Amino acid sequence: MSFSDATAAVSDELAARDDIIICDSVDKWYGDFQALKGVSATIKEREVVVVLGPSGSGKSTWIRCINRLEQHQSGRIIVDGVELTNDTRNIEKIRSEVGMVFQQFNLFPHLSVIDNISLAPLWVRKRPRAEAERLASDLLERVGIPEQAEKFPGQLSGGQQQRVAIARALAMEPRIMLFDEPTSALDPEMIKEVLDVMKELAVGGMTMMVVTHEMGFAREVADRVIFMESGEIVEAGTPEHFFTDPQEDRTKLFLSQIL
Amino acid sequence: MSSELEHLARGTAELIANADEREAEDAASRPDEPSLPPLQWLKVNLFSSVLNTALTIVFGLAGVLAYQRLLNWAFSHERNWDAVRVNMRALFTFTYPSSQYGRIWVTLGIVLTLAGLSLGLSRMVGQGVSLKRISIWCMAWGGAVIAGIVLVQPHAKRSADGEILLDADFEPVRESFGTAMADRGWWWLIGVLLLATGLAIWVILGDLKRRKTFVGAIPFTLGVLAFAVSTLWWFHWGNYGQQGDIIEPGRTVKDSAKLPWTAMWFVLTGAYLVGRRISATDRAASVRVVVNLSWLLAPFITFWVILRDPQIDYAHVMSTDLPMALGFMIGGGALLFFLTKPDLGEIGRILGVGLFGIAIFNWVAAFFGIYPMLQKARISFLLLALVALAAHNFAGERAQRLRFVYAWAAVMAILHYLVTMINAPSTVDAPDEFVGGFLVTVYIAVFTMIFSFPLGVLLALGRTSTLPIFRVLSTIYIETVRGVPFITILFFFSTFLNIFLPDGMEIEQLAAAGLGFALFSAAYLAENIRGGLQAVRRGQYEASDALGLSTVQRTGFIVLPQALRVSIPPLVGATISTFKETSLLAIIGIIDFLRVANSVIPGQTVFLGVRMEGLLFVCMIYWIGAYSMSKFSQRLERHLGVGEN
Ligand SMILES: Nc1ncnc2c1ncn2[C@@H]1O[C@H](COP(=O)(O)OP(=O)(O)OP(=O)(O)O)[C@@H](O)[C@H]1O
Ligand SMILES: [Mg+2]
Repeated sequence: MSFSDATAAVSDELAARDDIIICDSVDKWYGDFQALKGVSATIKEREVVVVLGPSGSGKSTWIRCINRLEQHQSGRIIVDGVELTNDTRNIEKIRSEVGMVFQQFNLFPHLSVIDNISLAPLWVRKRPRAEAERLASDLLERVGIPEQAEKFPGQLSGGQQQRVAIARALAMEPRIMLFDEPTSALDPEMIKEVLDVMKELAVGGMTMMVVTHEMGFAREVADRVIFMESGEIVEAGTPEHFFTDPQEDRTKLFLSQIL
Repeated sequence: MSSELEHLARGTAELIANADEREAEDAASRPDEPSLPPLQWLKVNLFSSVLNTALTIVFGLAGVLAYQRLLNWAFSHERNWDAVRVNMRALFTFTYPSSQYGRIWVTLGIVLTLAGLSLGLSRMVGQGVSLKRISIWCMAWGGAVIAGIVLVQPHAKRSADGEILLDADFEPVRESFGTAMADRGWWWLIGVLLLATGLAIWVILGDLKRRKTFVGAIPFTLGVLAFAVSTLWWFHWGNYGQQGDIIEPGRTVKDSAKLPWTAMWFVLTGAYLVGRRISATDRAASVRVVVNLSWLLAPFITFWVILRDPQIDYAHVMSTDLPMALGFMIGGGALLFFLTKPDLGEIGRILGVGLFGIAIFNWVAAFFGIYPMLQKARISFLLLALVALAAHNFAGERAQRLRFVYAWAAVMAILHYLVTMINAPSTVDAPDEFVGGFLVTVYIAVFTMIFSFPLGVLLALGRTSTLPIFRVLSTIYIETVRGVPFITILFFFSTFLNIFLPDGMEIEQLAAAGLGFALFSAAYLAENIRGGLQAVRRGQYEASDALGLSTVQRTGFIVLPQALRVSIPPLVGATISTFKETSLLAIIGIIDFLRVANSVIPGQTVFLGVRMEGLLFVCMIYWIGAYSMSKFSQRLERHLGVGEN
């Protein structure tokens, strides 16, 4: 798929918005193994993109390249007008613009919930402590667990932990949020509480890239679905097109397996 | 910087609070299983099968025999326990002049005050000791004492002038068994009292009450200590002397030690109660930070200010020391205030690197003796350069920058104060080798812990760093030190170090030995901490990076706290071995605790060749120290839930 194609099938209103993430033929190798093969896509401001694909197709690798947790070897990635290069200041800048939520939550087990959330505003954004803690309480309110502020991550359920992780990422007031299978490690009854928080974020106008297997979420919330396989973008389109009228054989096969 | 410390301290405090809750939950969820009646317990545990019964009998007999041999050895007329009693002072402080003993008591008072406060402030309450355990403990000791009374052979008879009476085979003539038993009245009393107390607790309280009534571990310990101190008031512990002194009838341990030790007990208990009081208020967290920092400073203050009592040359202080300190505080502070300005950009980095270059050159110059400069100016300058390099991490609003500057000024003030104190000659009126005995053991152990710990952390970080230069240097250091016998390092430092130092720099043997200990132990600590670092999951690094934390912040706030927590058991192990290894000081000629027992006492004319008694005593003291440390670490581990998940 070419660079322009991945962006083609979107509404005119969306197309008119500014680009916030631009990937241009991004290649990524792990040793001899090529995990990303010329990935090109443009994501617009306030757009919600869901990335689908079979296991090992390079979804995680791709979104981890976007905040430089992984380094791509060729091609360009431009986030909010800043190109990702080896310049540490660019990386710092982008990391403070991009929040990330992991499959395994990755909360800091030795810090209380409120400290988990206020750490980055305090030390990266250099906010005064009182302000950082106020921000943290507000965010806890927003993700629906204000009463858990003084607890430690180990004392919370998986769903609560993931909501804390989302609040922690939001505390940096990012313009973009990346989610890597945020509900895959959760028991079914907790998935909804996390998805609800994410929906609310989407409605609030956050730019989001979400790797997930939750098709319901993709249908309901996504502006665009991107399907990857073997390190390539195979097909992209609005959820209606994607789920009802897929063009590529590989997409059809994938959908027939999971639906 | 101060707020960063505070943050870390708060994190630790919360970690402990968290542990409290977990401990309580644990206790609540444990099923309430009644204990077996004594006879059944014996049957299940000792006589459950033929083999078990045989083993019980064989090992029981062996135990009794060993106990009897030990007692007969210890209470034989050939033992000369006066060698230990008379030499108490020599063992603990060597030739420290008795006119200056006040300094030692002040030192001990400071340490006990801090200890009491820490215990009181600690949230590590735990359950304490159950009455059942106390009861068993009393009965066991009572039984052991009574068994001892019966097992020890009757004493040898003495003639009117104190000579041992010998029979035809030159064996001592012993009292009859009946007389011997009757002579041991005091021991009977102790044994019976202990046994009776134990039995009384057991019989009066029911099983449930015995197991569920707890005496706090600290009050219990304080009670035992109170009893021990009270014995000084009513029991004749014997006389004391100093190296070479003959026992003087008038000078008894009781006379010289009962008042100070009683005062020490009150200091400890009082500080503990104050600590308890504070821990209930909301100032607890900040007081805790102050107490912990005081612990770090205490060894220096007590050693240099109290035990050395420097004679300060005020003219020099006014003309050189004070202006230099103020210069670094104010000038350095102003520089750092500038460097923490937000969006200062490249200038900050360039300045930092430039300063660092000059600082390094400074040391190279010192090494080749190119230009003279006070050593403390060099050290301060290097520190300033290092802090300047890291300053951009602390950029922020005005108040925060000011806090950073104040922290810098405080560090400078302390550093210059201490260096000035060290350089001034001591007014303590004492012979050259006045530090010796247990005092030197404790100081070397504490010095080693304080210096090797940060160095070990740095080495471990270096070895796991992604920057090849740090990795290679740390690895070379660690592997070299670990590949060399400690003794060689000790010899090198105590004998040859001065040859390698730049002109005009000298180091005393004891300090050199301490340095050797610290450098050696750091390599081992580094390996322990590296183990902890490897236990920190990759996701923690990724989450920190994704939040935009800098490498320093990630290490200090996220990685190290988790790594150190995992490394508690090996770190305490290393501390215990350092404590015991201080006995190697004897080899390089420093008169430490062990050397007093092994060569000083046997060399005294009155106690010529009396060695075993002192050695046994030294073993006991080492054992008490090592055992308490290991108990403490077990409690800490249980408390922090290490080894869970
Ligand atoms: N650190 C690594 N070293 C070597 N190969 C890697 C590494 N990380 C990922 N890979 C490989 O890159 C490919 C893409 O991995 P990636 O994690 O991006 O897949 P994914 O689409 O997220 O799969 P899943 O749905 O299972 O999470 C896989 O074949 C994987 O084996
Ligand atoms: Mg993945």
